Amino acid sequence: MIRLAPRFAELATMTNFSFLRGASHPEELVAKAAALKLHGIGVADRNSLAGVVRAHVFARENKKEMGATRVAPGARLVFSDGAPDILVYPEDRAGYGRLCRLLTKGNLRAKKGECLLTIDDLLDHAEGLRIAVLPQADPARCGSDDEFFFLSRLREVFPDRLWLAAAMTYGPHMRGALAERIMTARQANIPLLATNDVIMHAPERRRLADVVACIREGVKIEEAGRLLAANAERHLKSPDEMARLFREAPQALEETIYFFDGLRFSLDELSPSYPEELREGYPDPQAALEAFAWEGARKRYPQGVPEKVVKALDEELALIAKCKFAPYFLTVHDIIRFARSLQKKILAQGRGSAANSSVCFCLGITEVDPARHELLFTRFISAERKEPPDIDVDFEHERREEVIRYIYKRFGRDRTGLAASVITYRARSAIREVAKVFGLSEDVVNALTGTTWGYGEGGGVSETDARRGGLDPRDPTLALAIDIAGELVGFPRHLSQHTGGFVIARDRLDEVVPILNAAMEERTTIEWDKDDLDALRILKVDVLALGMLTALRKGLDMIEKHYDRRLALSTIPSEEACVYAMIQRADTIGVFQIESRAQMSMLPRLRPKEFYDLVIEVAIVRPGPIQGDMVHPYLRRRQNIDEVVYPSKELEEVLHRTLGIPLFQEQAMKIAIVAGGFTPEEADLLRRAMATFRRAGTIQNFETKMIEGMVERGYEREFAERCFKQIEGFGEYGFPESHAASFALLVYASAWMKCRYPDVFCAALINSQPMGFYAPAQIVRDAREHGVEVREVDVNLSDWDCTLERLDESPSPRFAGRGEAAPAIHPRHAEMAEHILTTHAVRLGFRQIVGLREEDMKIVVGKRGAGYDSVRDLWLRTALSAATIEKLAEADAFRSLGLDRRAALWAARGLDRVGDQDNLPLFMASRPQREHEPDAKLPPMPLGAHVVEDYRCLSLSLKGHPVAFMRGRLDQRGVLRCEQLAKTASGARVSVAGLVLVRQRPGTASGVVFLTVEDETGIANIIVWPKVFEKLRAIVIGARFVAVTGKVQSESGVIHVVADRMEDLTPMLGLLSERGPEVNRPARADESRTSRPDPRGRPGNRACRPPALTPPAAMASEQRDLLEVLPLGRRFH
Amino acid sequence: MLRREGGALSPTPLATYAKIGNAQLLVCVDRLAASLGLTAGLPLADAKARRPNLIAVEADPVEEGKLLERIADWLQRFTPLAALDGADGIMLDIAGVAHLFNGEASLIQEIETRLAGQGLTARAGIADFPRAAWALARFAKQRIAPADATGKIFAQLYHALPLAALGLNKDVVADMARAGLRQIGDVALRPRAPIAARFGEDVIARLDALSGLERAAISPRFAAPDFSAERRFASAIQERAAIEATLFKLAENLAFLLQRQAKGARRLEFALFRVDGAVRRIVVGASRPLNEPEAMRRLFRERFEAPETDEFDPGYGFDVLRLSCLLAEPLAPAQGDLARASQEEKAQTLADLLDRLSARLGARRVTRIDCVDTHIPEFAVAAIPATLGDARRPIPARRRAPSAMVPLSRSAGKEEGASILPRAAVEGGGGGPRRFASPARPLRLFERPEPIEAIAEIPDGPPLRFKWRRAMHEVAAIEGPERIAAEWWRRPDGPTRDYFRAEDTEGRRFWLYREGLYGREAGRPRWYMHGLFG
Repeated sequence: MIRLAPRFAELATMTNFSFLRGASHPEELVAKAAALKLHGIGVADRNSLAGVVRAHVFARENKKEMGATRVAPGARLVFSDGAPDILVYPEDRAGYGRLCRLLTKGNLRAKKGECLLTIDDLLDHAEGLRIAVLPQADPARCGSDDEFFFLSRLREVFPDRLWLAAAMTYGPHMRGALAERIMTARQANIPLLATNDVIMHAPERRRLADVVACIREGVKIEEAGRLLAANAERHLKSPDEMARLFREAPQALEETIYFFDGLRFSLDELSPSYPEELREGYPDPQAALEAFAWEGARKRYPQGVPEKVVKALDEELALIAKCKFAPYFLTVHDIIRFARSLQKKILAQGRGSAANSSVCFCLGITEVDPARHELLFTRFISAERKEPPDIDVDFEHERREEVIRYIYKRFGRDRTGLAASVITYRARSAIREVAKVFGLSEDVVNALTGTTWGYGEGGGVSETDARRGGLDPRDPTLALAIDIAGELVGFPRHLSQHTGGFVIARDRLDEVVPILNAAMEERTTIEWDKDDLDALRILKVDVLALGMLTALRKGLDMIEKHYDRRLALSTIPSEEACVYAMIQRADTIGVFQIESRAQMSMLPRLRPKEFYDLVIEVAIVRPGPIQGDMVHPYLRRRQNIDEVVYPSKELEEVLHRTLGIPLFQEQAMKIAIVAGGFTPEEADLLRRAMATFRRAGTIQNFETKMIEGMVERGYEREFAERCFKQIEGFGEYGFPESHAASFALLVYASAWMKCRYPDVFCAALINSQPMGFYAPAQIVRDAREHGVEVREVDVNLSDWDCTLERLDESPSPRFAGRGEAAPAIHPRHAEMAEHILTTHAVRLGFRQIVGLREEDMKIVVGKRGAGYDSVRDLWLRTALSAATIEKLAEADAFRSLGLDRRAALWAARGLDRVGDQDNLPLFMASRPQREHEPDAKLPPMPLGAHVVEDYRCLSLSLKGHPVAFMRGRLDQRGVLRCEQLAKTASGARVSVAGLVLVRQRPGTASGVVFLTVEDETGIANIIVWPKVFEKLRAIVIGARFVAVTGKVQSESGVIHVVADRMEDLTPMLGLLSERGPEVNRPARADESRTSRPDPRGRPGNRACRPPALTPPAAMASEQRDLLEVLPLGRRFH
Repeated sequence: MLRREGGALSPTPLATYAKIGNAQLLVCVDRLAASLGLTAGLPLADAKARRPNLIAVEADPVEEGKLLERIADWLQRFTPLAALDGADGIMLDIAGVAHLFNGEASLIQEIETRLAGQGLTARAGIADFPRAAWALARFAKQRIAPADATGKIFAQLYHALPLAALGLNKDVVADMARAGLRQIGDVALRPRAPIAARFGEDVIARLDALSGLERAAISPRFAAPDFSAERRFASAIQERAAIEATLFKLAENLAFLLQRQAKGARRLEFALFRVDGAVRRIVVGASRPLNEPEAMRRLFRERFEAPETDEFDPGYGFDVLRLSCLLAEPLAPAQGDLARASQEEKAQTLADLLDRLSARLGARRVTRIDCVDTHIPEFAVAAIPATLGDARRPIPARRRAPSAMVPLSRSAGKEEGASILPRAAVEGGGGGPRRFASPARPLRLFERPEPIEAIAEIPDGPPLRFKWRRAMHEVAAIEGPERIAAEWWRRPDGPTRDYFRAEDTEGRRFWLYREGLYGREAGRPRWYMHGLFG
């Protein structure tokens, strides 16, 4: 007798995208299915298609391992009307569209994160779907007449496409239930389908499955009882095992094959579909695009389009035509055109692989002129790979909302959706949730997570963390919790919306992917994130927000208004030597991208001389080049210490622009191709595998292949390994040359503005807050060092925003400034004097005052007329609340009236309150101030106290620096001024002191902490090695005013102090207040800045993460006192 | 703050924290923590980052309040008029009391020393008026104000104190500081109207309260009793006999006082002050006014006899005993019938009985059976203290679906296709529920599963026959396996069990299981009998 080996396809599989139910990643399930040699695996998450792409991509990219096992996308419908769960799989593209629409319907009628479906919804979308009815949750209803009726109704709608699913998961009535299922199937004449109702790929995940169930239900594991599964049987099983379990019904296994083989739909069929209506009268999109491009070219080059550009345009347009990408470019063009068409234009700038093409330049998508900048982008679009072009567009961060609204309006909500962003468990959140399940006290959780300063990428909480938190990692419960939390890290938690990735479909988006309600009203997202879209080659446009664009727009407007120069990003004078000179001196506070300390310490070494150097500068201080150890070799070659040599002739072409050292993502990929023997497709797989390496285990194959491939071709193993490391670094923070070029343009533009018009730059930056790396205090300080006069906020002179006032005249002569001359340019910047074109002073705006509303201040400006002449006058004319006026007084904004802070505050507090007779209109304005009030003879406010109050109300002071008041004492201790460091020999041991501005522990610097401290003369950069850090931990983290002793390290203009001792001088700050030393309570000064998203958008500088600590909510004001007003020091990780 | 310093030598810093808004902030720190630069108001995460060895305990305002109350009660040893004052203070009215303790200075000394002995750091201040004492205790070096402090003496005492000593809202203090007003003197010496207009009348009122112009009354925790008698001991007493003897003496004294006014006590309180600061109060009521010492003693004795009484736990001993009459009434001429009082104790409920039994026998000895939510059969039922019963959360209804027993087919491979359909199921016919139903759990569960010898197919086949208590049973019908894995968080390597409901050829039904899985778990699987159906 011939016995065929049993065949089986698992169709009831929940991945961990069935949030807090599934206990395995889609990739794990697919890999396991292949290992078990299943005929196929159907991924069916609860009312969701969120996990299917990952499963599909994994299978596509691991063809060899997959063997004959196929993957099918589907969903497990869970109904809200009591119907049993039903597995649904599309037979074809149309069926898939219907499934998407069905899920969309359920999503949109529920609140975020839920999906409400009834069985009627399924009946309405029946065509092209195969379904399998799972057993009722309530066994009492199984086999009842109700069920029989239900099944016959389904059979009418799904003739030949209906199955009855059974699972053998070792429950209390397993065989009986199967018998009954067999009976029902026979009676209803529906084929029986074997499944194992899978929630995990292997039985070892039982622990995690139980823990996520507890998280889901919010119970402790001790109390969860029968909420948990009784056993570990819901894992993928081999065909033999399934055959054994279903030996009474072998046909049920054969049915899985029959079911599965009827599923012809593949996610690869979802081809790019882009709006077609943008051709505007042209016969087809390509014709429209060509017309727009040539028209743009003529505008860009009024003297005639250069030969080179004509050639490039021809080539690019041909390629676009071949790949049929014209609608995509037209879409981006349409959005940008909208931003420019507004009366108040929105500044926009494109970047990404396709953005720096000639076509994009001519369409106005980007401002990087390919003709001028000699940028040669070999990787524009690869025709063979059909790789989708990638264009991200940055908009002014304050106005992106308008663009988003336009997109929804232009294309309609049924065609438009935002990409999802999958929020996953990180070390902290994982241990927190798991510890709760194990009933560990909050204190233990805090001990575990509290000591992790910085982000725990991957890995979870370690034993070391536990020890440091004073816990014993050998405690069994604790060990278990740490272990399981480690497994949970990387699990998806919920879907959120991507910052700006728009997917726009030609027809209905809800037939491509299910749509969800987003957290924000009027927003919709889809179920897939950008990697998923990327993998399926579905095009998206990233509409991102960039603070620097806002600042540049405001700056350009000011230049036009006050200096009568009309400039745009593209017409800013290019390649000015003085701008590069400034950059070389690392005088870059506020400049886009190159203002961070890491960037600033690179500048004097790299010494950028031309645009392309900026491109390199932007890209070099990134995890990729750093991990690949490419930075120092590059610098040595650049400084002519090392000779420029190429690893091989073939790589010379790839690397000649970067002196033989790979710095950009494109180069790393190219190396894999040219030197490692990868096909372009493999190289792309490699890059993607890197980004998701936590989830799949195939990375080693690539590593071996690339390194061995390179060694075979005669490269040194060490070089090969470094190249691979670099690709690893790029994986998560890829920084391609094309991005860098777009960013470099903004670097130059902002540097130019800072160099030529520091007044404008200062005002524009402050008016665009929150953004960037530095607080207004540093921006103002820097402007003053460049000779800009900054004037105080004043009720009679200020606007909401910072404004410019001509130095030789005051806009309101009555309240002329007190005749202070513009400050001298700091000797540090002396060489810039002749290049600075400033003729204006910056008047700080009301926006700088903490806690005032813009509407109120508009009233102050609107009713000002010829000026207010008393606090009372202001109060009567503006009718603002006394509290608001007190805020103005606290900010010392009544100086033009001859009132200092204390006097103004006294007057403001003395304003008659509601119900006073002054409120009668007749007496308004005519009544004199409180007469006959005895003089309170208040003591004058000392300057130190003014400075403190300035920091409190304005977060900066123009009157002095807090440290200046302590200089006498610091001198006694032999503490140097920060500016003296420049004249100190390298290697000398010195002490400096200052307020802590920034603390940083970058992930790339293996535990080294960088501090920036500031005194009245400048800043000092401190390095704290890990060993010293552990010793000085409390001071490094907590102090706001420190003295640092250590060795000076000075190399090509970059000065550090390597700390060996530190002293917390914070209590000394008490001297500033009149009140003596009751001051020792730290708090944050920069609350408003803590929760802002990274304004730089996607390729984000990792060092720019917002500080992780939350500000204390409401502290009693006395405790808030002095310390709160001084900078706590911003923390970056 | 009121918190026992865990010994000044405690090597690790200690702090309490509370959730304020969204943040966890330190609220109190001990001396060590303070010396390391940790302060109240610091976010907990920050504090932990700075001092990983910090022990942080969540603040418990309720317990802290209770502690303060206990201290206030204990302080009644000095004066009956003791009142809580905010969350961190106690106000004592010591008018006419100080001389008993050799004057105010030594009274302060004694209070502070005794509290220090209990591990509490306290600061006391004495003045003519509550607000003034409040200010002195918290802010002044000189903590005793001379009587009738006015003029220059008043200025010396109070003018240099910070404005916070007026007990003003913190925001007001900060606002006034901004105006340059920082000390009490800054306000006292300035015109009042402008200050009142700007910072509120309250400022002036508080200022006046220092000199008694504005009266602030204290509301003591317990009204001072009209009649009381107390006895102090140089060395604390511990024996119950001595206490009872003292009680009787005090009763005599009290009775004497009552008799003088022709009154009798309706409610009596016996307060025992323990040296460590604990105060026991025993209150008894009488159904008629009493003034016979013997009757008073009898009332208390009944309380002492109650089996659950631990009120006599003397710890390190009591050093003050006080008997007070909380409620006195004119003495009625006729005496009531004492025996009638016991009539009220008739209605006994089961709960009362349980309470009493539990109290006598110990709560663990009086139990009832309750369900426990777990898959493990032998733990699904537990005997729990009867008094605990109702507080437990309800157990969700178990899935109790009747289902069929499937006749055992020894050679599944022989029959093919549809014909293999289980006979029982087929015979069941129709659309309705099955006929042959059996419950999932046996009626009788053995306390200890009994090992049996069984022959079964691997890996998880049912037993074909088995030997239990020396008798061989042939299996005729079977349901299973129902697989129950060990609770991994309790027993990480515990074996998995496969339960079978088996019916033998004589119709007896058993519940038996195999422990351990072939191939997947270590050791050879073993068989057990765990229960019987019917």
